[in-house]
Amino acid sequence: MHKTGRGIAAHVVLVAFSAAILLPLIWVLRVAITDKATAYRIPPEWGTPSFDNFVDIFTNYPFATYFLNSTIVAVASTLIALPLAAGIGYAFARYNTGGMALRLFVLSSQMLPPVVLVLPLFAMFLMGNLINTWTALIFAHLTIIIPFLAWILVAFFQGDVAILEQAARVDGATRFQAFIRITLPVAVPGILAAGILAFILSWNEFLFALILSGPKTNTLPVGLASLQSHRGVEIALIAAGTLVAIVPVFALLPFMRRYLIKGLSLGALK
Amino acid sequence: MKKLLLAGAVLLCGIGVAKAETIHILMETVPDTRYIQELLPEFKKETGIDVEIEAISYIDMHSKLVPQLIAPQGSYDLVVVDFYWVGEFTKAKWLMPLDDLVKRDGIDLGVYVPKLLDLVGQVDGVTYMLPFYNYSMAIIYRQDLLDDPENQKAFKEKYGADLRIPITWDEYKKQVDFFTRDTDGDGKRDFFGTVNQGQRGDCISMQWANYLYGNGGSYLDKDWNPKLDTPEAIQAMKDYRSHIENNGPPGAEGFCFDEAFNVMAQGKAYSFVTFNILFANFEDPSSSQVIGKVGIAPNPGGGLNGGWGWAIPNSSPNKDAAWKFIKWVESYEIAKKRALLGGAPTQTKIFTDADVVAARPYYSTLQKILEGVKDFPVFTYTTEFVEETGRELNLAATGEKQPEAALKDANEAFRKLLKKDGKI
Repeated sequence: MHKTGRGIAAHVVLVAFSAAILLPLIWVLRVAITDKATAYRIPPEWGTPSFDNFVDIFTNYPFATYFLNSTIVAVASTLIALPLAAGIGYAFARYNTGGMALRLFVLSSQMLPPVVLVLPLFAMFLMGNLINTWTALIFAHLTIIIPFLAWILVAFFQGDVAILEQAARVDGATRFQAFIRITLPVAVPGILAAGILAFILSWNEFLFALILSGPKTNTLPVGLASLQSHRGVEIALIAAGTLVAIVPVFALLPFMRRYLIKGLSLGALK
Repeated sequence: MKKLLLAGAVLLCGIGVAKAETIHILMETVPDTRYIQELLPEFKKETGIDVEIEAISYIDMHSKLVPQLIAPQGSYDLVVVDFYWVGEFTKAKWLMPLDDLVKRDGIDLGVYVPKLLDLVGQVDGVTYMLPFYNYSMAIIYRQDLLDDPENQKAFKEKYGADLRIPITWDEYKKQVDFFTRDTDGDGKRDFFGTVNQGQRGDCISMQWANYLYGNGGSYLDKDWNPKLDTPEAIQAMKDYRSHIENNGPPGAEGFCFDEAFNVMAQGKAYSFVTFNILFANFEDPSSSQVIGKVGIAPNPGGGLNGGWGWAIPNSSPNKDAAWKFIKWVESYEIAKKRALLGGAPTQTKIFTDADVVAARPYYSTLQKILEGVKDFPVFTYTTEFVEETGRELNLAATGEKQPEAALKDANEAFRKLLKKDGKI
């Protein structure tokens, strides 16, 4: 009896939390398959579900281009950032390069409001004739992602891995061999988890994308924002676009669950 | 490796081919932008120039524009400028004066509605923009309810006056009270006399301006002294608060125009003081359930003037082509085509053009609305002014602050900004 009571209590809490996360998504889904006139009706109505909004954003609005741009920028900046951030993280963890001062310095760009960074970046890219290119956006996103990832990865290179690495060194491995063969494999879950977070950071980033991109390179967040006009918010289209934008993140979800849990409870020695 | 070289060579050849001239324009996502996009093939046919329009939302435009305008050479040949930014942009010398071009090509600025040329055309006698688009404010109301004989009878009995399109602010207030109803008798009102867009910042600032004019108030005297603590302004705030508290839907103090529009579009309100361009949306089956039932009328005492202008930034890489485009898009022929598609004209004759009136009879009313509009204070810090007063107005609208106190603070903030700008 006591056990059941606890089970019920646990479920009440779980259901409440799940509802807090899922209800807004269900609402978005409802709006995405109705039209604007139905979307705002209180009490809410489901109406006749239709996929017109999805067709509309891909035919009358360049959402295919937005999607492609977002994918290219997010994948490229994640792939570039991961090895660099892993290097920084390793250097911090093993050699304490630059001490706490350098660690904080790396993070300092993240303490500034992004709008402070965006103007100098804009001026630099303008000089390099890179405004409205993927390159500019990828570079800009790297300024956000690399410090963030480096800090996450430091934790994975610290602690028990160092002991494993020393064991490898005793057995005759060079430092580089030890890094490649021992440290990296042990840190893989952490690196993948960091990679997924990096992808999401770039995927959702708005301000840099707004100011540095142009019609050919606009990403999904900028495209979605453009649906709020002076003559009204195209709420149904925004909902459809939002669902489309969520898809890749959902696709990453199974990996995320596996690696995030593994990554955060890491232990080769346990 | 060979393949790579070949690919490189092909790429280089591609770059070598002379690129057709292209104009880059930054615009806001409004229907008029879409209409112009539809008409672009005609421009290409006439001039051989390609046009690439980037349309983004209003809230993001300022942050996107400013870095472009500061740069020695930006990416946009031509931009549209909201009246909010006219003071800031011209003072910073970001926009190119157009007078020489206007003179050289014999462009007649007299075709524009004078109030719009004043707002989004000329500053201190220098022409920086040609008016593109107007969004002046007016009262959108339920014509069917106004015409209903039962309502007319009941109104006459209650107020001893005819129920008609409101001419005075007092008359409008009575109508708002009259139409506020509890139709299902549950003790809560469910049909609203008016809908407010009371959200802090831009939304309430714009709408409240009409209440101020309705009460005979104004923002400034002729020497740029702020007048927001006058009895007229305080009465305007009391009216606004009362409409939210006694006549409007729950939550109106947090609405912007889109939420407010939807209450009215679902047939739950009698009237809505808002941008005239929204009128077309009430006639659109995809967003409205009151098609054919709404009318539009000037705000008693004058509505708020609003508009956008075409401007060539000093950072424009191709000023000649940009000017060619302005001349084309503002020609009578294209302006008329845009109006026929449902655009918001700025040229006087378009409003009375026989074809336009036949297609959209309410355009003659729009002209009357534009003739009576009043300007918002346009100076270097208009954007800051909107934020500061918008906050105070919202505090009074929610009842957190008394109207007198809120307006006193708004007036002081206004005075500081005017001083900072050297106006007083």
